[in-house]
Amino acid sequence: MLSLNSYKTIFMAVGLIGVVVCCVPTVMRLAPPVGGETFSELYALGPGHMAEGYPFNVSAGGSYMVYLGVGNHMGSSVYYEVDVKFRNSTESLPNATSGESSSLPALYRYRVFLGDGGVWEAPLNFSLLNVGFDGNVSSVGRLDVDGVVSDVNKIAMWDNETKGFYYQVFVELWRYNVTTRSIAFDSRFVSLWLNVTQSF
Amino acid sequence: MRFWVNVLVISLLIVCIVFFVHTAFAVTYQEAADQVAEADQTLRNAFNGVLDAEKNGANVSALLPRLTEAGSALTWAEEALRIGNYSDAVNRAGTCKSLASSVAGDAVALKIDAVAASGNWWIMVLFSVAASVVFLGVLFFVWRWFRRGYLKKMLGIRPEVTS
Repeated sequence: MLSLNSYKTIFMAVGLIGVVVCCVPTVMRLAPPVGGETFSELYALGPGHMAEGYPFNVSAGGSYMVYLGVGNHMGSSVYYEVDVKFRNSTESLPNATSGESSSLPALYRYRVFLGDGGVWEAPLNFSLLNVGFDGNVSSVGRLDVDGVVSDVNKIAMWDNETKGFYYQVFVELWRYNVTTRSIAFDSRFVSLWLNVTQSF
Repeated sequence: MRFWVNVLVISLLIVCIVFFVHTAFAVTYQEAADQVAEADQTLRNAFNGVLDAEKNGANVSALLPRLTEAGSALTWAEEALRIGNYSDAVNRAGTCKSLASSVAGDAVALKIDAVAASGNWWIMVLFSVAASVVFLGVLFFVWRWFRRGYLKKMLGIRPEVTS
């Protein structure tokens, strides 16, 4: 037979377990969700929805497509802006390290609102217009992005090392800052080299 | 002769109507730009409202695609403004504002529901405390009853003498 103190311990243990069981639903709601690293993702996929087959050799009037995607892992809903820009090889890219965006104007802007864990994806269709060649110089006059035609007027010199006229379509990710109530560059961008060739 | 005079008068009337109506409803760049800026601000305010509702525990997942739709309307309004189609810019800015305002209204309603639900949370806390107190009280009485029986039983045991 157990001693009275042993029974007392058993009763106390039962009491403790009972209190815990009664409080579980409340504690579950009170406990903050397990937090991880917060970040946003920006990606571009080829026409086959894979990280391959990106348009590279492009010509005037041809229609090209990549998929753009944004993922929200910030722990709450986020308002993103996705800016599509175009440059030649002498113009600067954004600087992800210093958080500086490109000073070039956005040719097309997606506005995306995503909940935590949400992913947005859309096809980015583009074509180069008013393309010209003169010896070792090429020019692109206009760019059509998803039906929005903009004057770009870029010039590229023939690159002897890589044998081509190179331009770049790049996409910057911007995020709405709730504290400052303004949109700021999120230090993320993806880019796509284009070798502009003459169409025959 | 009279027929041709009538035709001339009616033609002049139509030309005047077309000219003056167009002038009266023409949208200037500044008006369109103001509407687009207002739509941008409305969209941001709507998102702030959605975030506020979310912080209060509301499920805002249904509101976000509508905001994206409003954002798309704003992008096209900006494009229309850029290419000089001011009336289209105003129309699209109006669509954006309408969508964003509707989302803002729904966000407020969701926030009210969420705040009411957090009131239920306090009821749950009270229920947990009350249930714990009742459980401990019952356990205490059971313990007292058990201890009395235990001691009675122990006192009733006769010592056994062994040789």
